[in-house]
Amino acid sequence: MNNRSLCKPWEHRLSRRQLLGTAATGGAAMGLGALGGMLEPAIADELKKQEKQVIFIWMDGGISQLESWDPKPNTQFGGPFRPIPTSVPGVQFCELLQHTAKHMDKLSLVRSVRTQDNSHSAGVGRINRGDPKDRGVVYPYLGSAVSKLMGSTSSGLPPYVWVKPYSGGFKSFDAGFLGAKYGALALGDGQPPDNLLRHESISKEDDLARNELRLKFNRRYSERRRKEFTDANSYVYDVAHTLMERMDLFDESKVPKRDVERYGTHDLGRHMLLGRRLIEAGVRFVKVNSYHWDSHGDNFNASDSLVRQFDQPFAALIEDLDERGMLDNVLVIAMSEFGRTPKINSHVGRDHWPEAWSVCMAGANLHKGLVVGKTNNDGTFVDSEPYDIGHLFHTWFKALEVPEEKMEYVNNGQPLPVANEDCHAIKEILSVG
Amino acid sequence: MSRQVPIVGFAALVLIVQSARADDAMSLPEHIDRLVEAKFQGKPAALTSDSEFLRRAWLDFAGRIPSAEETRKFLADKSPEKRNALIQSLLNSPHYAQRMRELFNVILMERRGDHEEWDKFLQTAFEKNVAWNELVKSILAPNPEDENNRGAAFFTTKRLSKVGQQSTDFPGLTRDIGRLFLGLDLQCAQCHDHLFVDDYKQVEFQGLYSVYLNTYIRTDVKFPAVGEKEMRQPLEFTSVFAEDQNKTGPRIPFGKEFEIPEAIQNKKPPPRSKEYKAPEFSAVRLIADNLPSAENRLFAKNIANRLWFVLMGRGIVQPLDLSHSDNPPSHPELLELLADQVIAHKFDLKWMFEQLALTKTYQRSSVIPEGQESPKPETFQVALERRLSAEQILRITLQATGDFDRLTKLDKDGKHSEEYTELKKKFVDSFANTATEPEETYDATVKAALFALNDGKFLDLVVKREGNLIDRLAKTTDTEKLTEELFLSVYTRMPHEDERSEVTEFLAKHGAGEKRDKAIGQIVWAMLASIEFCLNH
Repeated sequence: MNNRSLCKPWEHRLSRRQLLGTAATGGAAMGLGALGGMLEPAIADELKKQEKQVIFIWMDGGISQLESWDPKPNTQFGGPFRPIPTSVPGVQFCELLQHTAKHMDKLSLVRSVRTQDNSHSAGVGRINRGDPKDRGVVYPYLGSAVSKLMGSTSSGLPPYVWVKPYSGGFKSFDAGFLGAKYGALALGDGQPPDNLLRHESISKEDDLARNELRLKFNRRYSERRRKEFTDANSYVYDVAHTLMERMDLFDESKVPKRDVERYGTHDLGRHMLLGRRLIEAGVRFVKVNSYHWDSHGDNFNASDSLVRQFDQPFAALIEDLDERGMLDNVLVIAMSEFGRTPKINSHVGRDHWPEAWSVCMAGANLHKGLVVGKTNNDGTFVDSEPYDIGHLFHTWFKALEVPEEKMEYVNNGQPLPVANEDCHAIKEILSVG
Repeated sequence: MSRQVPIVGFAALVLIVQSARADDAMSLPEHIDRLVEAKFQGKPAALTSDSEFLRRAWLDFAGRIPSAEETRKFLADKSPEKRNALIQSLLNSPHYAQRMRELFNVILMERRGDHEEWDKFLQTAFEKNVAWNELVKSILAPNPEDENNRGAAFFTTKRLSKVGQQSTDFPGLTRDIGRLFLGLDLQCAQCHDHLFVDDYKQVEFQGLYSVYLNTYIRTDVKFPAVGEKEMRQPLEFTSVFAEDQNKTGPRIPFGKEFEIPEAIQNKKPPPRSKEYKAPEFSAVRLIADNLPSAENRLFAKNIANRLWFVLMGRGIVQPLDLSHSDNPPSHPELLELLADQVIAHKFDLKWMFEQLALTKTYQRSSVIPEGQESPKPETFQVALERRLSAEQILRITLQATGDFDRLTKLDKDGKHSEEYTELKKKFVDSFANTATEPEETYDATVKAALFALNDGKFLDLVVKREGNLIDRLAKTTDTEKLTEELFLSVYTRMPHEDERSEVTEFLAKHGAGEKRDKAIGQIVWAMLASIEFCLNH
């Protein structure tokens, strides 16, 4: 765990009095923590049975809200693209989202996002962690948080899989204080992790025989010993075997041609398609990562290319999840660490803008075809109640039926709320209380 | 009646005298056991079997397991003193320094990286059994003139090196000095008094921080070396909660603050020079001379607690770096005793390891007694299983499969073969934590499971090769003998009856004719991949 982010006084928004206040209300939850490690066992078991899943599309660098979800045609900062109608009357997208526009009736859009950080270096972590209050610990990213809170689904697959360009492997960075085991299994360019393929010298029968023997040895050893280590060991071997059984997930030749065409053969298309297949296979949380959205120069050509690369597979993803009846259980989130400046700079680019941007969501317990909040006419600032990332974290946990207000992590005896306690869920977007 | 009174009185007197004598005569291991036993809840585990003790001691002090031959010899030895003799011989074998180098490298560097000179420093220190306070002094103020010791600077230079665009992590360095040498994680007291730990005041952090803020990596020499800018004014700091103005000079946490001499405070900065010159007033030196010392109780307690952790699997203070009044030790008297003894024996680590290894507490079985629930770990009444480091797993795997000598042979330049280096990297990648994460508990990972299941180099170790374990076993036609050799080589013990029949059945089912070699390899694999093999139990 990287503990570099020690408190910075200027970031410090926590007073001792405030903290004691929360610690007092957290007392009951601490008691629960003592029972279940973190949660009341009954809640924890209930959550494990819960089959809600998440597919999280991360556009690193910052997608421009003006060239996507919140166009401002014919204004000083509007840019060259036209707005188009969507499947919900009165709601318009930028024309670069021509495919997604047909599915607005299934989406939930928040156009009044206002966050605190305009730098990539701090902003990426801050958004991914839900910008919790600084308590001197490194919070987990959303995927690791969901892994900890909900665990694997009954599929037995690893709870957190990250589809990304470049390198893969087991990445512990996202886990923060939760520790490496809540990190992500990263599939670099969709490729399986090292050693996933059964070695050529081992036949299927050999594998069964040797594992049966391994389990016999383990059973005898663990008969009268503490359970913790043997349980942890069995779990990782089970996950490894489940993954080995699903090599088909990494075999693109098995994917119907029609799907490949609909999602597109570019990275984001292929990766989003793999994301859907991982969700279908039962992975709890899939992150699909796309880079290079930081269009400080030539924003409009960049958006013309990138937003379209997002639009095609995203529309296909929503369509597929909807057709398969999976949207009831799968929460879809598409976002970046911030939006882009309405003001167009001298390099025909847009810079970082956390003041007013949009997050697109769909699925699990969210109302369909809904737009929450708005920005002012020029798109410079939020013109309704602003929502920070903390509000979104609360909203997502509620959508996943995780009782986030009643839960705390307990780290070295320190109680830690799972979402920023100054924020609350966005009620109007949720179909559950 | 009247005659009985003096008798009772006498008996009581004798008892008192005897127990006082027992106290005097009581060895340190006995004293330790008495303090631990006083807190038992229910029945403790029996003392561990000879074979489990043998494996445990070898892993702890030699970093590997014994050969089947060495195991046979130990099991056959009828001497009542054989455990003590084994501890002695392991502590005095050349394996000891190597094991300690690897152990303390992981404790102190937390997988941040390796450096030849740092390795040399640790290796030399443990070969000479350098006292812990001296070793820490070398780390805190390394002497660049001393070729065997100057690598100690790597502890600091590695932490001062920048990662990406992030600023130099002075707070992290300060924190680690508190954590690793004093058992104090002062991180949360950087900007204000700690919110949960009343003892941890901001000044405890800032006083140490003031020193390390003035350190940097020297670039005028090729080896790791720490430069220091002269601290001429105390460090000013403010709590983020109170608008107060505070000042501190160099200061040992919970200890002395050093005045900056007036002459230094009024001194004009000397002209810049290309050549490195150590400052006239060295705060780093003051810390190095005073933090690791017999007068610093926290320093003594920290090492006592950490050595206890290494051998017993849990600190008397746990977490190891959260020593404060709201997190009391599980056995306060024991911790004081160990700290006293470590001071009395001048921070002699080897002596302390020996004393701990001689206790019943160390020599208990990890098997929970019949009819008992799993006891609380802090009772130490059943031995706690412990994580093996990547280095230990590599060594024991090669020892078990009979590849140790072949693969660890040095070439004429004293270097390891490429094959070994590559294999070691694979083991570290699979079994070590990521950088900066302490390796204090067993963290099972899918990555390690996949490595054991499918990595070609790992699987190659269970393929028959001239002289390796599979080859030896394949040549043994008597299945009874084969099973014994197998279990002694891999598990450092004799097989149970049902294990004998399992091996026989497996070979009958899967090892007919030419498939026998492969089936033997499969059995060895199942043992190497099993939990019994990958823990110190």
